[in-house]
Amino acid sequence: MLASLVSISLGAILVNNFIFSQFLGLCPFLGVSGKMSTATGMSVAVIFVMTLASAICWVINTYLLIPLGLKFMQTVAYILVIAVLVQLVEMFLRKAIPSLYTAMGIFLPLITTNCAVLGVVLLNTQNNYNFLESVVYGFTGGVGFALAIILFASIRERLAFADYPKAFEGFAICLVAAALFALAFMGFSGMKIM
Amino acid sequence: MKSSIHLSDSVKALLRPGVVLLAVAAVAAFVLGGVSLATSGRIESIAAEKLSASMQAVLPADGYEDLGIEDNGEVEAAYAASNGGWVVQTTESGSQGLVTMLVGVDGSYACTGVSILDSSETAGLGAIAGQASEKGEAFRAQFVGQTAVVAVTKDGGEIDAITGATITSRAVCAGVTAALEYCAAIEPDGSVPQPLSDAG
Amino acid sequence: MNRKQQFAEGTITNNPVLVQQIGLCATMAISTTLFNGIGMGLSVLIILTCCNVVISLIRKIIPGQVRLAIFVVVIAGFVTIVDLLLQAFVPALSESLGVFIPLIVVNCIIIGRAEAFSSKHDVKDSFFDGVFQGVGYTLVLIAMCLIRELLGSGTIGGGLLNGASGFITLDGTGAGIRIFSDTYAAGALVLPFGGFLTLGVLMALLQHILSKSAARKAAKEKEVSD
Repeated sequence: MLASLVSISLGAILVNNFIFSQFLGLCPFLGVSGKMSTATGMSVAVIFVMTLASAICWVINTYLLIPLGLKFMQTVAYILVIAVLVQLVEMFLRKAIPSLYTAMGIFLPLITTNCAVLGVVLLNTQNNYNFLESVVYGFTGGVGFALAIILFASIRERLAFADYPKAFEGFAICLVAAALFALAFMGFSGMKIM
Repeated sequence: MKSSIHLSDSVKALLRPGVVLLAVAAVAAFVLGGVSLATSGRIESIAAEKLSASMQAVLPADGYEDLGIEDNGEVEAAYAASNGGWVVQTTESGSQGLVTMLVGVDGSYACTGVSILDSSETAGLGAIAGQASEKGEAFRAQFVGQTAVVAVTKDGGEIDAITGATITSRAVCAGVTAALEYCAAIEPDGSVPQPLSDAG
Repeated sequence: MNRKQQFAEGTITNNPVLVQQIGLCATMAISTTLFNGIGMGLSVLIILTCCNVVISLIRKIIPGQVRLAIFVVVIAGFVTIVDLLLQAFVPALSESLGVFIPLIVVNCIIIGRAEAFSSKHDVKDSFFDGVFQGVGYTLVLIAMCLIRELLGSGTIGGGLLNGASGFITLDGTGAGIRIFSDTYAAGALVLPFGGFLTLGVLMALLQHILSKSAARKAAKEKEVSD
């Protein structure tokens, strides 16, 4: 049991990193990795929502959709849950922890269309994870996202001083840098808990 | 959010978006239900067809009987073929995700073939393991006749891994090994062992 | 609305992937064989067009507060329909695209066009917007697939064409037409690394071309005014 949880975590953070190996969550990854502070804010918000969404969607799928034979509604239900969840989290934070809300407030609405969040929920279903495994996968998937985006933000801050062809300005050079990251993360592939 | 004093206004303001959203969702559910109803039969028959075609490919026989074993995360299902062999479905983790395969085993506990049922390995590399291409066929043919622990040459075995896809090749080896081990444990009287619950 | 201009916007000057820089996830993830690329491109084109039309039709009754939720339900509905149809009629494609079919729901292209275009324009314009943006997306996917497949595994048309018989196969088993031996292929290009790199270079290429043509235009205008 523990071994499988550790192996799920390791997979989500390093081996099958959401960004560098599964290509999930690239839009916010490129969008908000320009500055370290925004990258951190986004990471916290994503970890939070991914964990909660994994838990709630598992419950809805297991106790509502499957017994009622509504498996075809999975995608619709999941995305609605995520949208509502993001809205609720936003409202809750604004009332309860205003400081955290101002820190990650603007990133919250963006998370609805972050494919890493819907991706993690769909993968939970596809891999037949149980409740605990789903929550762990959601949390560590978020941590993997955070790791990638924070590492990348520190590179991008340096890219500003780099000398590269003018045509590569903007996202193009970022993608090339991300390619090198992906190459580095390939070193983790095949790593397994025996 | 609003106090209940201006009930009619606030209720109206809250109600309309809710009703519209609900209506859209209901229409969506209705349409999806229809499409799902229309396609589910076909989807199921495609899956069943694929399974039986793969079974015929790894161990040709007139019929297969599902032994109804418990899925332990590695050995997922086993079928007894009418000609005395078995077909075992195993799952291993490859480089991108799970690799599910069918392994044919004959009465003398030798592998008769392997077929990849489902995988999400890299196209052009690991995906070759499951393809009907020349390279894919050559890779899978190596497993025919194997009896003991199967491993790639890098790990001291006999299987030549697919170039650039050692991890996928290892996963297939592990799946075949698990299937052979499972079949070796089947009693001569035909009683079926349940796979060990802790299979790494 | 000028269709010609709308077409140029969708395919080149406001290309969803290369210029708007949205919908990147699937672009990089599945652009490893032509079969995947065309399949994904057409799926997005169909879903985008349907969503654009429906959202444009109901744009007057959508309340502002829940507009995103309604867009999402409409999009998820069409995505599920396409997903089910693919599973039933092109199972090979549904298998090889896997989780990226349901993930079209959060493909920013579709929700982006809903928010920016179809919720503000009439049905006809929205329809063409969907088609042209979809074509723009498909073209980028095809370009990515051709480059990555040719350099990464030395073939063209993997999954779609069968080198031996030269015919189009729809079951995804075709091995493609071999251009050069895979001994000389740069296998890394079909890995995630190659996805990032190819898209980065394509983006730079388009930026270069656009800036060149803008410079030429400016020079010409200067000539005229002189």
